[in-house]
Amino acid sequence: MNTHGATLVLPAQAGVMDEAATIRAAQRGDQAAFERLVHTYDQSVLRLAMNLLRSSEDAYDVYQEAFLRVHRNLQNFRFDCSFHTWLYRIVTNLCLDHLRKKKVRRQESMTVETETGIVDRAAVLPEERPGSDPQRTLFSHEVRAKIGSALQTMTPRERMVFELRHYEGLRLKAIGEMLGTTEEAAKNCLFRATQKMRSALGEFV
Amino acid sequence: MTCETFRELLPLALYGEVSFEEEEQLDEHAMTCESCAEDRERLTQIIRSVGSEPAGVPPGLLSRCRRDLSARLTADGSTRRQPAWWERALAALNPSLSWIKPASALALLSIGFLGGRLMPDWGSSGSGSIDPASVSRVRYVDSDIPGRVRLVVDETRQRELTGEVSDAGIRRILMGALGDPSDPGLRAESVDLLGSSSDNADVRQALVNSLRSDPNSGVRLKALEGLRRYAAESEIRDALCEVLLTDDNPAIRAQAIDMLVQHKDTEIAGVLQELVRKEENSYIRSQSLKALSEMKASAGTF
Ligand SMILES: [Zn+2]
Repeated sequence: MNTHGATLVLPAQAGVMDEAATIRAAQRGDQAAFERLVHTYDQSVLRLAMNLLRSSEDAYDVYQEAFLRVHRNLQNFRFDCSFHTWLYRIVTNLCLDHLRKKKVRRQESMTVETETGIVDRAAVLPEERPGSDPQRTLFSHEVRAKIGSALQTMTPRERMVFELRHYEGLRLKAIGEMLGTTEEAAKNCLFRATQKMRSALGEFV
Repeated sequence: MTCETFRELLPLALYGEVSFEEEEQLDEHAMTCESCAEDRERLTQIIRSVGSEPAGVPPGLLSRCRRDLSARLTADGSTRRQPAWWERALAALNPSLSWIKPASALALLSIGFLGGRLMPDWGSSGSGSIDPASVSRVRYVDSDIPGRVRLVVDETRQRELTGEVSDAGIRRILMGALGDPSDPGLRAESVDLLGSSSDNADVRQALVNSLRSDPNSGVRLKALEGLRRYAAESEIRDALCEVLLTDDNPAIRAQAIDMLVQHKDTEIAGVLQELVRKEENSYIRSQSLKALSEMKASAGTF
């Protein structure tokens, strides 16, 4: 009798099971397993933090603090939500803290005057990719300045929801879960964020 | 569907966050209402122009994050494997137990105490009834009958202590634990606890010793953190300079340079110049250069 069929596991399923095994190993104190877990998610964590906070140092701080917290609290992870959700709950909380602090700091020194008004310094000075078409660069510069100023008008929560939905492509339901709120509240945040984006870019596009 | 409902649902619809029915109704409305159809076109363009590429992670940031996390986890992780030793110790110390002689406590490798208890019954006490690991010292050996041995041993037994880290006795036990070569987790936790008492000169000295010579980088990193507030003191400054020139862990050197350059003291210029010349880590080199230029010293020979 051929029993091989019964042991087949779909790749996606295998990934999930593999992760659960890795988490359990990390919970038992297996440092290598923990690092594997970190390396699965840390690029997207860093990208999210960088994009939200627009500062290498802040993103660095969030990265360190997030994974140290994960490490310290991994014992308490009970698999009642996905690890991704659990991790992002920690990361988004840290980012929100930073955004709130940043808002206070920005009023002091983080802003610059441009023809489009007062905007975040980081939004006006984005990373320049070398070798790009100057015409396009100029255009994208202006658009990015507008986007930057729109992001500034968002509250930290609106900003977070917009970031997670627009850039990270997460569903509002998952976002609500991460931020400890309802899908409905996440919807409202996204709605307001879009309105703000629209009024900043409205006459431009 | 009214125009108002259309406008409310539109952004969510563009992000695919409405139900199938709602989407149908939106389409229906847009077919009959020109201004809402235009509205949808514009918002679609706006969302598209926001683009999907985030700010981007600067090169090198990920690897710096990973490396530093790894160093921190070494300290953090090794302590987690046996988290409770000092909690156990601190959970039960009763001030009236200050009869514990600091000298003997210092000699212990863990929070066990010499009971000095002799085997109660020589005749029946076979080796099976004692745990060799609890024997801290063999005092006496003799053999009266061939094949039979008499031993007098000191036994360690565990005892729980509680108290504040500010308590001198507790501090001394913790400082003693820094010398335990077998357990980096114990040392890391002790260094971490002692860090809160770094206003004490003995504690600072112990932390400096750990920083200079502990083989475990996690322990050294914690020692460094404990000394942070005293970076301006000449002895600490000297230790920082030594770490910068000799420690093989770049995460520790990076911490050390940050602490060192907080206080722009011309006495460190020579070390900074040497770092500019020899240090392989670009962050440390650039911090050194920056500090030198702020001190208005040249990067060449001072
Ligand atoms: Zn309409």
